[in-house]
Amino acid sequence: MHDQFGRRGFLGGALVLAAAGLLDHVPGLAPRAAHAQTRARTLKIALLGLDTSDPHRHTGSIAVQQVYVEGLTSIADDGKAIPYLAESWTVSPDGKRYVFRVRAGVKFHNGREMTAADVLANAQRVRDLRRGWLAAPMQLVSSMEAPDARTFVMEMKEPYGPLLNILSELWIIAPESPGWSATVQTPIGTGPFAFGQWVPNEKLTSPAHREYWQPGLPKVASVEFNLRDTVDYSLALRAGDMHVARVPADQMAALKADPNIQIQYMKDTSWIFWSFNNRRPRAPFDNVKVREAIAHAIDKAALLKVWAGDAGVPTNQMAAPGNFFWDEALHKADRHAKPDRAKALAMLQAEGVVPARTPLRIVSWQNDYSQACAQTMRELGFQVEHLALDDVGAQRRLGQLDWDLAPFGSGPRADIFLRYVRLMSDGPNTGLWGSPQDPAFDEMVKNAVAAVDLDRRRAHYLDAWRHAMDRYWTVVIGHSAEAIANRRDVTGWSPGFTWGASRVDGGAGHASLVRAS
Amino acid sequence: MSAIALPLLRQAALICAIVIAVFFLIRVVPGDVVDVLALEGDLAEAEVAQIRAELGLDRPAHEQFLRWLARASQGDLGLSLRFERPVVDMIGFAVPATLSLAAQSLAIGLALGVALATLSAIWPRSPFAWLVEAVNVWSIAIPTFCVGLAAILVFSIWLGWMPVLGNTLVPAIVIGIDVAGQIVKPLHEELKETATAPFVRAARGRGESRAQIVFARLLPNAAPVAIALSGLILTGLIGGTLTMEVLFGLPGLGTLALQAIQGRDYPVVQAVILLFAVSIVTVNTATDLCQRLIDPRLRR
Repeated sequence: MHDQFGRRGFLGGALVLAAAGLLDHVPGLAPRAAHAQTRARTLKIALLGLDTSDPHRHTGSIAVQQVYVEGLTSIADDGKAIPYLAESWTVSPDGKRYVFRVRAGVKFHNGREMTAADVLANAQRVRDLRRGWLAAPMQLVSSMEAPDARTFVMEMKEPYGPLLNILSELWIIAPESPGWSATVQTPIGTGPFAFGQWVPNEKLTSPAHREYWQPGLPKVASVEFNLRDTVDYSLALRAGDMHVARVPADQMAALKADPNIQIQYMKDTSWIFWSFNNRRPRAPFDNVKVREAIAHAIDKAALLKVWAGDAGVPTNQMAAPGNFFWDEALHKADRHAKPDRAKALAMLQAEGVVPARTPLRIVSWQNDYSQACAQTMRELGFQVEHLALDDVGAQRRLGQLDWDLAPFGSGPRADIFLRYVRLMSDGPNTGLWGSPQDPAFDEMVKNAVAAVDLDRRRAHYLDAWRHAMDRYWTVVIGHSAEAIANRRDVTGWSPGFTWGASRVDGGAGHASLVRAS
Repeated sequence: MSAIALPLLRQAALICAIVIAVFFLIRVVPGDVVDVLALEGDLAEAEVAQIRAELGLDRPAHEQFLRWLARASQGDLGLSLRFERPVVDMIGFAVPATLSLAAQSLAIGLALGVALATLSAIWPRSPFAWLVEAVNVWSIAIPTFCVGLAAILVFSIWLGWMPVLGNTLVPAIVIGIDVAGQIVKPLHEELKETATAPFVRAARGRGESRAQIVFARLLPNAAPVAIALSGLILTGLIGGTLTMEVLFGLPGLGTLALQAIQGRDYPVVQAVILLFAVSIVTVNTATDLCQRLIDPRLRR
């Protein structure tokens, strides 16, 4: 009796388990209908991941949190800071005192109105955390105050030019957000969507903020970010599962051929470069003439084609053509605009370098671009040891500074300073540029930062860049704008200057879905 | 008693060995979670060192292991180093997707495999016999990710019938056919052999119908083989669903483990591997018990 029951129970259980799973897929049943309805009202996006629920703990390439938190400023398509939670501001003639007029009628997701005191509390918290982009400028703050509900004042010890742009990443959240004293778990922001439900590495589902301060926004009921970096989003876009997604260059052709897909480009660019080990260079790569010789072997156009397809623009600067901080004369004077292998070999010979007897260790990511770079060096005759690693492995190896050459790229930033700072002696994450330690360069960048006049600031930056170029710390191959694809049933969406998914004049808050996909 | 206890002890020792090996092997891979944070958040050298010290990653590996072991033995799997979320919550979110896919795949595979093997045993010269060969060769020759990609292209992109992300039916069918291919051949052989056994010939002699012979004589005798194969396949499925999870964007344990490895999120990797190891032991034990339940000879 017992045996018979057990056998039947086992078989019955198996059938129930299978049926329960399979019934989900029968067309016409409730779950599927509900799924279709949700898709019509939820904007589905895949850009970058989300590492923390605490908006003050992460800077850099951020794409997600802009939908639930906002800053005093926003970055316009031309890269300039424009009003956001601050409706206006004034800067004193000496560039040290910033007075912000905080926007009235802005409500947090919990319904409370934001005041200048909230801005002050956030600025103090960021200053005390001492992490990321904002750490350096916040140490230059001599005082902060909120004299009334709509005025926030920052006094700097010295002029700091990038401040307004960098403040676009000082996210304002309600101090009553759970975890404020340690790690914020549920940020209560002011963005067009609330934080919602976050499943790390999986998704963030953010419902619309019904009391959002911009009238008529947001236009969809919720936004869902897919946070996985293991999914081929081009297929999901073509199938209609995703509305907006970043696309790698090798998927571009298939997406361009699809009439339902539109490709748009971010307004700032990624820059692509070869860096030498600048802190602990091995002979003969400590010789600037040897570095120059190697630069002559670089075929910028070919490498850009590998990196970005047709979207690449060759140049020799960290700012792209068209950017205010790019210099045309410097661009035209590029001695490495075209490859000259014969000259490279002659220069190496003149410096007594025999490539066949010279080991060259390359550290890179695992991509076609780095393979092409390694091949260039093999064709020059070097004994190439190519360490092609995943992102994290490469990051660790770069920090060890036991390599000679590193072909990499770096993405858009809210301000040109955030590129220059990476070459400074105490800069963040300097490994990609071989960690140069040069007080003269540091001083030039500091002069640029301290310049109140924009033209003077540009001149100082260009001085610093020429200094870096003359020493061949890094050789710029060129720039490319990141491609973002969206289905054509998404209207009002356009990529911004940086990765941010929402900003004052565009992004997720302004997007709508014209029909059920 | 010892017939159950000794294998269990062996399995427990195996789990310990796996956990220890994974703990130290994952630390051999270049980079740690602080490198991830530095990469994502552009940290300066001083910040990197500070965070590494805060997380205890600057301590010797054996010290880190003892600390982890002390917590894990009390059921505390800790927090994700990268996301500062409880590992248990992250696993709790991922388990249903993997279990659902594995169960559906196994159900489809068993149904298809048993049906084909049975039908070809009843009609040995019918197209069913050819199908047995075809499904078997299919599972050996064609990787599931190829079939999955083709299925996405046909059903999701060309025909627009199904979503790519979150779809479990197509991956369950793809894996199910693969499972069927693995069990159909040995099951078919077992049924063929049983069909010539004296007790089956006697049943035929007594005038029992073809259906009676199949359902009352052949299938019960082949059940232990099917269950033993299912146990083996299920243990493979627990990890083997990874490809389909990634391809179809399913939030399962495979995806979680892969992303945790990429992000050097040690506590998550260790917890997932521990869960895989315990699952495999559990499935093996359950398979053994099921075989005993169905086959009286094993209880003697």
